[in-house]
Amino acid sequence: MRKITSTCGAALAALLLAVPLQASAEDRITRLADVPEDFEFYPLPPGEGVEEVYYGCIACHSLRTVTNGGYSRRVWDELLDWMVESQGMMDPEPDIREEMLDYLATYIGEDWEG
Amino acid sequence: MPKKERGLIELYHDDPERAEFLVFGRKAGPDRRGFLKGAGLASMGAVLGTTIPFSANMPAGLMPAALAETVNEFTFDAKHADMIVHNDRPVNIEAAAHLLDDDVTPFDKHFIRNNGTMPMPMSKADWRLKIDGEVNDELELSYDQLMNEFELVTFRAQLECGGNGRAGFNPLPRGNPWTIGAIGNAEWTGVRLSDILRRAGLKPSAVYTGHYSYDEHLSGDPDRPSISRGGPIDKMMDPHTIIAIKMNGEDIPIEHGYPARVVAPGWAGSVSQKWVTRIWVRDREHDGPGMTGLSYRMPRFPVAPDTEVPHEDMMVMGSMIVKSAITNPVAGAEVRAGAPFEIRGQAWAGDNHVVRMETSIDFGATWQTAELHAPHNRYSWQRWKQTIIPPQAGYYEVWSRATDNQGNSQPMVVPGWNPRGYLNNSCHRIHFTAV
Ligand code: HEC
Repeated sequence: MRKITSTCGAALAALLLAVPLQASAEDRITRLADVPEDFEFYPLPPGEGVEEVYYGCIACHSLRTVTNGGYSRRVWDELLDWMVESQGMMDPEPDIREEMLDYLATYIGEDWEG
Repeated sequence: MPKKERGLIELYHDDPERAEFLVFGRKAGPDRRGFLKGAGLASMGAVLGTTIPFSANMPAGLMPAALAETVNEFTFDAKHADMIVHNDRPVNIEAAAHLLDDDVTPFDKHFIRNNGTMPMPMSKADWRLKIDGEVNDELELSYDQLMNEFELVTFRAQLECGGNGRAGFNPLPRGNPWTIGAIGNAEWTGVRLSDILRRAGLKPSAVYTGHYSYDEHLSGDPDRPSISRGGPIDKMMDPHTIIAIKMNGEDIPIEHGYPARVVAPGWAGSVSQKWVTRIWVRDREHDGPGMTGLSYRMPRFPVAPDTEVPHEDMMVMGSMIVKSAITNPVAGAEVRAGAPFEIRGQAWAGDNHVVRMETSIDFGATWQTAELHAPHNRYSWQRWKQTIIPPQAGYYEVWSRATDNQGNSQPMVVPGWNPRGYLNNSCHRIHFTAV
């Protein structure tokens, strides 16, 4: 996927826009540089839960805060707690929180290049 | 920034009720008004900075007008085009290494680390600095009083973000992935904080300060400081710790703290509160946001990468440590093989100063001592330079290594991993090609 993006980014972007939530964990994008700039939820990479994370995190800071570094599930879990307990983020419903955490740990994991 | 993210207004346009649910957690009642079980009311109130008395009537999907009015943030003068933008909300920008070449860092090449919003500038006439806590007489000083009733001092001072170099740690700790450019050495003019504290009269119980400012927390909640750190009273009484009112001879630009800020050189930049309005003198270590837990703290003993360190095993960082940057050549430069050319840069060491500077162009096998200038004044960074001749065509790296007056020098590999990624002072490396 990485290769395709660098050679024909526009075509891939169109594809992604059509099916933004379908990127599976296997063929996910792993670098910020490969996320198509016209993707609806740019700079987040496509993947299940992207919409929840996008809207849930944009009220206070840009999504670049979220894509600057990739972290383990444990660190994302701690970060979600920190947002809610210390930064005034709304406490998401448990199923939404789980979806957010799954997305973050899968698509912005330790191998992510921000 | 390659592209603007879709803003809140756009989101509200597309699907207001869904946007509201996802942003604020709001679920409206069956009549599409109010807040079902209160869901989302608190978080929306926090963003608006107040409670919503008629919340029961508020229609679903109605974007609060206050929000619509505030999304256009105050902008500031552009930075140099080669600055590296990590974030625009909050603003976090660092200099590419070659921009650190000036002995006095100009505005447009000085890094910015914001924790909260970029505030609208408060006028000098409205601005006050309050000194309270463990003092005999509380003070509330105006800008004019600072200018007229105290001695003004001017000097160059390095300010470095505690997380400068974080990007080198593995696994990457959370926070801005600074490389080497979250450092600047501007010329600051201001009043010694010690003179102000002496006028207020320190009680024997005074051991620490806590700093507050007029910028806002990102959530918009007026009861949350964006950050509030401070330092031990000794550092605060040091004659180089000042309330600065000028940067490079001019009013401090808004992004650097207009109209006044703390400058506590050599320590993590977060001690040097921008937009300062209050110094709270404390009888214990300050405990504002940024002081506790893992923030701006280092483990008391070395830990393996990715260790979960208990909070009680962490201690507040003091002085920054010895480091150097190569500002010429620019990374990736082409030079002539067999011909001499100048490599140069800056070196600094927190509260200490640099006494030896060495460089290597053979991956650390041999080191040459570079010419090192004395600091312009205490706490200024120091220029170093050296002429080298790449013996033949090919790929080279310049490595630079500084040693301070206490005998500490920069490690060639990344030093001890720590949970938040502070104090990476490994040797700076720049590659160039000889042709
Ligand atoms: C109510 C406000 C708010 C919301 C909503 C919010 N954050 Fe944050 N977030 C903050 C603040 C404040 C900071 C600290 C900013 C700073 O000091 O630079 C922060 C910082 C971060 C950081 C940087 C961590 C660090 O140590 O500096 C990450 C990563 C992050 N947030 C992720 C998220 C994610 C993911 C979401 C959505 C699930 C989210 N945030 C939603 C307020 C918020």
